[in-house]
Amino acid sequence: MATSATTVDQLIAAPVARAQIGLWQDAWRRLRRNRLALVSAAYLIGLVVVALVGIVYTPYPYAHEGVGLPYMGPGAGHLLGTDQAGRDIFSRIMIGAQVSLIVGLATQAVVLAVGVPLGLMAGYFRGWIDTALSFVISVFYGIPDILVAMILIVLIGKPGLGTIIIAIAATRWMDMARLTRGQTLSLREREFVEASRSSGGRPAKILFGHVLPNALGPIIVQATLGIPAAILFEAFLSFLGLGVPSPTPSWGSMAADGIHAIRIAPHIVLAPAIGLSITLMAFNFLGDGLRDALDPRQRR
Amino acid sequence: MRGTLLYVGQRTLLIAFTALAVSSIVFIGIHRLPGDAFVSERLRPSQQAALLHQYGLDRPLFVQYRDFMTNLVLHGDLGESIANRGVRITPLVLREATVSGEIGFAALVFTVGLGLLFGVTGAIRQNSWVDYALSATSVVGFSMPNFVIATFLLLLFGIWLENVTGGNFFYEIGWSGTYGNLGEILVPAFALGFPYASFVARLTRASMLEVIRQDYIRTARAKGLAEQVVIVRHALRNALIPVVTILGPLVVGIITGSVVIENIFGIPGLGKEFVQSILNRDYNIVIGVFTGYAAMIGLANLIVDLVYPLIDPRIRY
Repeated sequence: MATSATTVDQLIAAPVARAQIGLWQDAWRRLRRNRLALVSAAYLIGLVVVALVGIVYTPYPYAHEGVGLPYMGPGAGHLLGTDQAGRDIFSRIMIGAQVSLIVGLATQAVVLAVGVPLGLMAGYFRGWIDTALSFVISVFYGIPDILVAMILIVLIGKPGLGTIIIAIAATRWMDMARLTRGQTLSLREREFVEASRSSGGRPAKILFGHVLPNALGPIIVQATLGIPAAILFEAFLSFLGLGVPSPTPSWGSMAADGIHAIRIAPHIVLAPAIGLSITLMAFNFLGDGLRDALDPRQRR
Repeated sequence: MRGTLLYVGQRTLLIAFTALAVSSIVFIGIHRLPGDAFVSERLRPSQQAALLHQYGLDRPLFVQYRDFMTNLVLHGDLGESIANRGVRITPLVLREATVSGEIGFAALVFTVGLGLLFGVTGAIRQNSWVDYALSATSVVGFSMPNFVIATFLLLLFGIWLENVTGGNFFYEIGWSGTYGNLGEILVPAFALGFPYASFVARLTRASMLEVIRQDYIRTARAKGLAEQVVIVRHALRNALIPVVTILGPLVVGIITGSVVIENIFGIPGLGKEFVQSILNRDYNIVIGVFTGYAAMIGLANLIVDLVYPLIDPRIRY
C-alpha cells in the first residue's frame, strides 16, 4: 500500500489495486473453479451436438423397423443394439436427446415468459394482483403436479410436443413466479428503484430496466434447475404412454418399451435409463455450480 | 385435547371440500368429449347413441353434474366404469387405495428410516470416507428418476439374482394380492422411497451438523451421558424438526411417484388404475381416482401435521 508518498490527486488518478470486474465476470471466475460443473457443461454441450447432428444424420433411420434383427445386443453394426422391432437404439437415443432438450428448454421458456412478468407485477404493485397470484400459487401447490399434467394432456386431447410442453409448464410456472415476486419485493425498496421512480420512470421501465436485471441471477439458476425437472417430467409422461406419440422416440417411452423385454434384452431399457440419469445429473450439477457462482451467499 | 379435535374437524371439512372441488373441476373439464371411451369399440352410430343414453351421457352437462354430485355427496357413489361396464367405481377406488396406501407407507418407512440413518451417520462421522460414500449415494439417489432405480432393482433382484430370490421380486405377471407379504412390497417400496430418502439424508446431515455444535449438546456430554443418548435424545430430536416440516411434500411426492412405480411392478393400486383409465378414456374412473388422490393427500398432510407436536412440543393446535 502506497500511502505517505502519494498525494490525494495521485490516489484518485491511480488505478484501484484490483481492477473492477462485473458480476458476470466474477461469476464466470467462480464457475471456472468448479470442476464438476465444468465437466457437466462439457457433457451437455456434447449432448447438444449429438442432438443437432441427429437432425441431419443418424446411423439408421430412427423410425425404420427391421434395420437389424430384433433384440440384438450392443455391437459393431448397432452401437447400442436394436429394440423389439429391430430399430437401431443409438439412432433413437439421438432423436430422444432432441426431444428431451426441446422439452427442457421450451418448457423453461414458457415458464420464464409466464412466471417472470407475473412475479414482477405481483411483487411491485402488491395489492389485489399479489393476493390473487399468491392464492392461485397456493392452490397449484396443493395438487400434485404429475396428476395435473396428465389431466391437462387428456383435456387438450392432441398428443404431441406442444401439448407436453404446455402441460409441464402449467405445473412449473409458479416456482418462477414465486421466486421473481420475492426478489422484486426486496428490490423495490432499494434506493436505485426509488431514484428511478422519483425521476418519473414508468413502471414498465423500472421493472424491466432496474428490477429485472438485478434479479436475473437467481432467475437463471432457477431456470437451469428447471430444465432437468422438465426433462424428467417428460420421461415420466412418455414412460406412462402419455408423452410424444410413436414413432418419435423419447427416452421415457424407450425405457417403457424396454421394460417388457427386460429379461431377454436389458440393454433396451438400460440405454435410455442411463442416458437420462447422466443428463439429469449434469443439469443438476451445472445448476448448483451456477447458483454458487451467481449467488454465493446462498451457498449451502 | 379439545383444540386438537377442533383442528382435526376443521381440516377434515377442508379435505372434503377440496375433494369435491377437484372432482367438480375434473368432471366439467373431462365431459367436453362424451363417448370417447367407446371410440375403440368401433360402434355403429345407433349403438353409440344407445350407449350414451344408457349412461346418461346425452343429457345436458348441468343435469349430469347435478346427478353426479348428488350421488357423490349423499351416497359416496362415483358411478360406473364406462370401459369395464358394470364395475362400480367407489369400491374399486377404495380397494386400490389400500394397496397404494400399503406401498406408500412402506416407502415412507424407507424414506424416513434410511434418510435418518444415512444423515445421522454422515453427520457423526463428518468428512470420513463413510460420510463421502453416503453423500455420493444421496446425490445419485436424488438425481436418478425413480423408474430408473426401479429398473435396476428389477434387473438385480428379478433377473440376475433370480436363483437367490426365486424370482420373487419379479412382478411381470402381477400382484398376487397377498397383502402384508413384506417380501413383495419391499422392492417397489424401496424404489419409491429411495430418492426421497436421499433428500431426507441431506437435510438430516445438515441440521445434525448444526445441532451438534450447540451448547446443550456439550452440556449433555459434560453430564457424562452415553454418546448414543446424546445423539438420539438430544441431537436427533432437535435435528428432526426441519425434516418433519418437509414430510408433507415428501408424502405428496411418494403418492405421485407411486403412479410410475405401480406401473413398472404391475401393482394394482390407484396409480396403475389412473394411467389405465386415462389411456382408455374411462373418464368416470379418472374422476374417481383423482378424487381419491385428493382425499389421500389431504389426509396424509393432516397426519403429518398431527405428528409435528409430538416432535416439537412448541407447536400446539
